[in-house]
Amino acid sequence: MSALLFNFLAVFIVACAAGVVLNRNAVASALCLLLSLVGVAGLFVQLDAFLLAALLVFVYAGAVVALFLFIIMLLDMQGGDRKPFTGLTLAAGTLAFLLLAGGVFSFAAHARLPATPAPAQAAGASLQNYAELLFTTYLLPVEVVGFLLLIAMLGVIVLSKKFEPELEPGAGSQKPDVRSQMSDAGNRKPEGSQEIPNHP
Amino acid sequence: MDPTTLQGIAATNQWSAIGPELVLGCLALALLGLELVLPKRQHDLIPAFAILGLAGVLLAVLAGFHTVADAAEPPVLFGGLLQPDRFGQIMRVFFLLTGILVSVLGVVALAKQRVPRTEFFHLVLVITAALMLLVQSHHFVMLFVALETVTVGFYILVSYTRTNARSLEAGLKYLIMGSLSSGLLLFGIVLLYGAAGSPALPAHSATPMGFDELHAFLAANPGNFLSAVGIVLVLAGVAFKIGAVPFQIWIPDVYQGAPTPVTAFLAVGSKAAGFALLLKLAAVFAPYAPLVTAVLGVMAAATILFGNLAALGQTNVKRLIGLSGVSHAGYLLIGVIAALHGQPFAPGAVVFYLFGYLLASFAVFGVMTHVAGPDDADQPLSAYTGLGRSHPFLATVLAVGLGSLAGIPPLAGFMGKLLIFVAAFQARLYGLLAVAVVGVVISIYYYFGWIQAAFFQDPLCPATDEGRPARTPVGLVAGIVLGFLVAGSLLLGFYPGPALADLLGLR
Repeated sequence: MSALLFNFLAVFIVACAAGVVLNRNAVASALCLLLSLVGVAGLFVQLDAFLLAALLVFVYAGAVVALFLFIIMLLDMQGGDRKPFTGLTLAAGTLAFLLLAGGVFSFAAHARLPATPAPAQAAGASLQNYAELLFTTYLLPVEVVGFLLLIAMLGVIVLSKKFEPELEPGAGSQKPDVRSQMSDAGNRKPEGSQEIPNHP
Repeated sequence: MDPTTLQGIAATNQWSAIGPELVLGCLALALLGLELVLPKRQHDLIPAFAILGLAGVLLAVLAGFHTVADAAEPPVLFGGLLQPDRFGQIMRVFFLLTGILVSVLGVVALAKQRVPRTEFFHLVLVITAALMLLVQSHHFVMLFVALETVTVGFYILVSYTRTNARSLEAGLKYLIMGSLSSGLLLFGIVLLYGAAGSPALPAHSATPMGFDELHAFLAANPGNFLSAVGIVLVLAGVAFKIGAVPFQIWIPDVYQGAPTPVTAFLAVGSKAAGFALLLKLAAVFAPYAPLVTAVLGVMAAATILFGNLAALGQTNVKRLIGLSGVSHAGYLLIGVIAALHGQPFAPGAVVFYLFGYLLASFAVFGVMTHVAGPDDADQPLSAYTGLGRSHPFLATVLAVGLGSLAGIPPLAGFMGKLLIFVAAFQARLYGLLAVAVVGVVISIYYYFGWIQAAFFQDPLCPATDEGRPARTPVGLVAGIVLGFLVAGSLLLGFYPGPALADLLGLR
């Protein structure tokens, strides 16, 4: 039963991943990505890692892919008449596929680990196990991740907010750079840019 | 689980041991607070606050250097996540110096741009603290989290001058290549974790991401295929950070587009972090030394040749310095390989080379910051014509920095190269040594082409003088710092004895 379910999920994930690459419509691609992530969450459930499965659905399927959809709609990138493959990308893709197939084959040939009984309960299985590890052994990395999120947030503000110096800086403002004005005009998205933060 | 058990697990969480990093983190938060509190006219104080804070932390680390470095047994902190030792202390000093120098250059460079100021110094402080944690990490989780903090900080810093299209392009390229390298590194870590955690294999461990446990597992399982793939992927992920061929493609564009102080930070800080990791991982992966040597050996030879040959035709000095940095990564890789062959002083030689590289690179980047105009990405070699006559001080600093990078005898760069080559000779790496010597000879051509542009090209030729951006006059602090860099390069070259004695006691 579990082998059948695993095989079904594996085929489902690969098919959805292929859909992400092959679809011409960006929105359909994003939705395929969402389905693929749900399939991966199913694999986590099979491994008894319920917490990871739930987090994957909440964070990636719920928030990240939704953000992708927002961006696709904001930039109005649906469809387009560009072909999905040019000759060069096709060649590179074929080469990558051959390399990947070689890698998978050598894995199947050499990397077989001996079968072992499953451990009683993995750390990702329950919220309590997870939390205990986070607040004892891995406390320091959690704190560092706090700083990582802080600078990521700061970076979004620095890179997206239009900066208007109150005091005139010396050298920079004398010769207005044509390119900088152009890119400023390109970045101006008055109403649209306020929609992203409203997303939960 | 009851509270006493939890306390037992958390007993090794000694926060005082990472005091310098904590102070830097708090300082970074304080900068943001200061920007809110201080009136707008006094915002110039914020960079001074950051630089003084970094200098204070540097003094504190130096004062407590020997208590940590000379401990007989390195303490286990945070349940084995961190292991501060002599090497970690030396690299802490290295990154604090880098942070100070980047901040000083940042003050000069940001004055020419219309960009927010405070956030730059905030990011430099956070990245410095993360780099310091990175070199002390003794566990893959800590390593990855610290490395990601550094990388995310660099994504922002690279695209910091966002009105410049090239800076944004560089940021995007660095984001994509950086994510790819993080993915490779993570995949390698996962394979190692899976292999070393498998209960059916000898010497398996419940915590296989700790370096000691992983080393024991690798020693007990020579020739494990999964581990071998994992090791190669981890090495590939780190090779992205140091810019070794074939993972160097992001270097020229990112180095050119990033603001000059950030380019310096990438060239020195990020590269040094990569080599500190490589030295640590080389010790962990020692049971697979033939594999690691083969991978790094091919990489080193290709890196030296590619870096030097590609730098020959460059006319933009930022691209030139980036590609020459690629070749320096190649020389350093030879030092890492010598360390893998059991040369006891090879790690010390690599660290000495890094210090020489720090002094020389920041001298060159300091001059570049002063010569550059408002468009930071556009720094042609022709902007340096006549520098020797109009700005003799800057030209001297440039000559010393470039000479040290090229490895001219009385300077620190020469001593660094000599030490690495001696280590390689004793490790019988004759082929790599030959490639390295060829690389050094090629590099002299483009380094001296730059010096020639600064000193010997006709400064009175109006055609080259016309479109050149105005050079910033050297301020007091920047002048002192540049003078210190020159003096350091000369001192380490003429009289490397004490520094070497300290470094060679690494193992």
